[in-house]
Amino acid sequence: MAKRGIEKQLNILDYALSSLWRRRTKNLSILLVFSAVIFLVASFLMVSKALSDRAGQLLVAAPEITVQRMSAGRQEAIPLAHGERLQGIFGIRRVVPRVWGYYFDEVTGANFTVLGVDPLQMPGGDGLATALARGRLPEEGEAGMVVVGQGVVETLALENRQLFSLFRPDLSLKTLTVSGEFAKETGIMTADLLLMHPAEARDLFLIAPGFATDLCISVANSREIETIARKIAELLPDCRVLTRPQIQKTYQVVFGWRSGFASICLLSAVAAFIILAWDKASGLAPEERREIAILKVLGWETADVLAVRFWEACLVSGLAFLLGMLSAFAHVLFFSAFLFRPILLGWSVLAPGLSLVPALALGDFLLLAAFTVLPYLAATVIPAWRSATVPADSALGG
Amino acid sequence: MSAIIRCENLVKSYPADTRPVSAVANVNLVVEREDFLVILGHSGSGKTTLLSLIGGLTAPDSGTVLVDGVENWQQGDQALSVMRNSRIGFIFQFASLIPTLTVMENILLPLSFSQRPAGSRDLAEEILAQVGLADKAGSLPAQLSGGQQRRIAIARAFINCPDIILADEPTGDLDEETERDILQLFRRYNKNGVTFIVVTHNSELAASQERARVLMMRQGVLTEQDGEAGVAHA
Ligand SMILES: Nc1ncnc2c1ncn2[C@@H]1O[C@H](COP(=O)(O)OP(=O)(O)O)[C@@H](O)[C@H]1O
Ligand SMILES: [Mg+2]
Repeated sequence: MAKRGIEKQLNILDYALSSLWRRRTKNLSILLVFSAVIFLVASFLMVSKALSDRAGQLLVAAPEITVQRMSAGRQEAIPLAHGERLQGIFGIRRVVPRVWGYYFDEVTGANFTVLGVDPLQMPGGDGLATALARGRLPEEGEAGMVVVGQGVVETLALENRQLFSLFRPDLSLKTLTVSGEFAKETGIMTADLLLMHPAEARDLFLIAPGFATDLCISVANSREIETIARKIAELLPDCRVLTRPQIQKTYQVVFGWRSGFASICLLSAVAAFIILAWDKASGLAPEERREIAILKVLGWETADVLAVRFWEACLVSGLAFLLGMLSAFAHVLFFSAFLFRPILLGWSVLAPGLSLVPALALGDFLLLAAFTVLPYLAATVIPAWRSATVPADSALGG
Repeated sequence: MSAIIRCENLVKSYPADTRPVSAVANVNLVVEREDFLVILGHSGSGKTTLLSLIGGLTAPDSGTVLVDGVENWQQGDQALSVMRNSRIGFIFQFASLIPTLTVMENILLPLSFSQRPAGSRDLAEEILAQVGLADKAGSLPAQLSGGQQRRIAIARAFINCPDIILADEPTGDLDEETERDILQLFRRYNKNGVTFIVVTHNSELAASQERARVLMMRQGVLTEQDGEAGVAHA
């Protein structure tokens, strides 16, 4: 019985396939439009997911308060003495100077992030050791030791050697020794990272001793972030004070997650309904109607007529969904979502050297399917149902 | 022996501008198993409507159609479809092939999805040979003449081995020789137990079938044709 049922569905599928093939021009154009819609919406969802994932990771690692010295509107090196002046503010747990910057490797054309920070002082720095795939963190006073991300290992071909050199701004060479590698799983944060002691980073960038790029401040009670930030700003009038909530807000403004997401849902709904309307309008041509009437006369059950239509719609929308998803994936992964570059421009200001890893939450995936495939199924099956339930004698008519 | 088809007080009218057109007006008809019924009548006299009432394609305004004692419209759509599919072969008055399907695919259409036995292709080829178009299995309808298309439609009506054939002007666009061949085919099936109801406006066709029972349709009213050969029925 069940075997007969499967055989029947296979026969229907076979008929549906040949029926699709018979109207291939129309079905191909529907397929293209449908895939394009899925492609756009899925790309958008994937990009925003990738960005929000990345933002989440960045924010977790972001210090609660960052102090930068500003001069003529530009960021300048900050004297470590500034940090000592903050020790008096009540509620500050720790002040950690960071020396960091970007290093452009002319040979490979790659951009690295150099971060000079004492791992022992960093908030959550003890967790850093567990992020290592091998080796260890450099210790105080060890000259030229560096922990590198997997991206750096690949670009500089460090698989089998420990020593490599980078150029200082005056084009003299600084030799570094790999003391450890970050694990692949931490890739999005660490791929392009060179982690070393502040003194080493100063040496690389030729920053004077006693200076840092910025100061990271952790507080005892996170509810007092704003209050402490205000006190710091009063104490250090030449400095800009960034708090984690502020940065968070900046991210939100730049990308507008929620409104973006809402408009995507809207967009896909609208698109699906355009397809729906188009398919309805062009859908049941007189010859299709006649075909259904003939099938009815020949004794096809309404359910069989509908099953054919259902399979047709499943094949078209399933294929379109697959095509759209795959091309969206490729678009985001291999072409860095170049269609959305104009929208993402603001992002790259905050996170330069951004690499996108396409991801799609299961919920988004289902939502997208619900907004596109289901209306299409309905739009195909309902008109067929209406005409399959009308009397069949119209096929006999003179 | 119970009648295979029984129509009782069958009435069907269609709405028109001034007053409803009475297409079938109170028809009573009893068809016995293995009858060869010929219904003559002018165009517009209600022949097609009567056939579609008998085949369960159109619901009557009043009256009943019983096939083997089962009333057409008392059963549901599904049972009616099954009845149509398994017991009745339809030959339409007008072109009824699906233009995008090949001749073979068209012939196989009545086979429902749950019952496409492997041998159905062989049977289709055999029937195709019987209508003299064995070499056209792969052609599309548009590549055939009107008469050839008609013969394909006739072949299709036989694929399910029905025990009733409802034929609406089946030889309308056939030349005399092919018409003779088709009628001979009908007779052979009839001898093998298939009941025929053939609608035509060609009275020669009626005369040519020796066992035929000839009826006359006039403005929706069905009468036994006077003075013609034919077995009397209740
Ligand atoms: N679907 C329909 N709608 C309206 N009028 C119809 C319809 N079918 C048939 N008629 C009318 O019913 C009458 C009988 O038609 P029909 O059964 O096709 O006659 P025949 O087959 O003998 O030529 C005609 O007057 C025709 O105009
Ligand atoms: Mg007619």
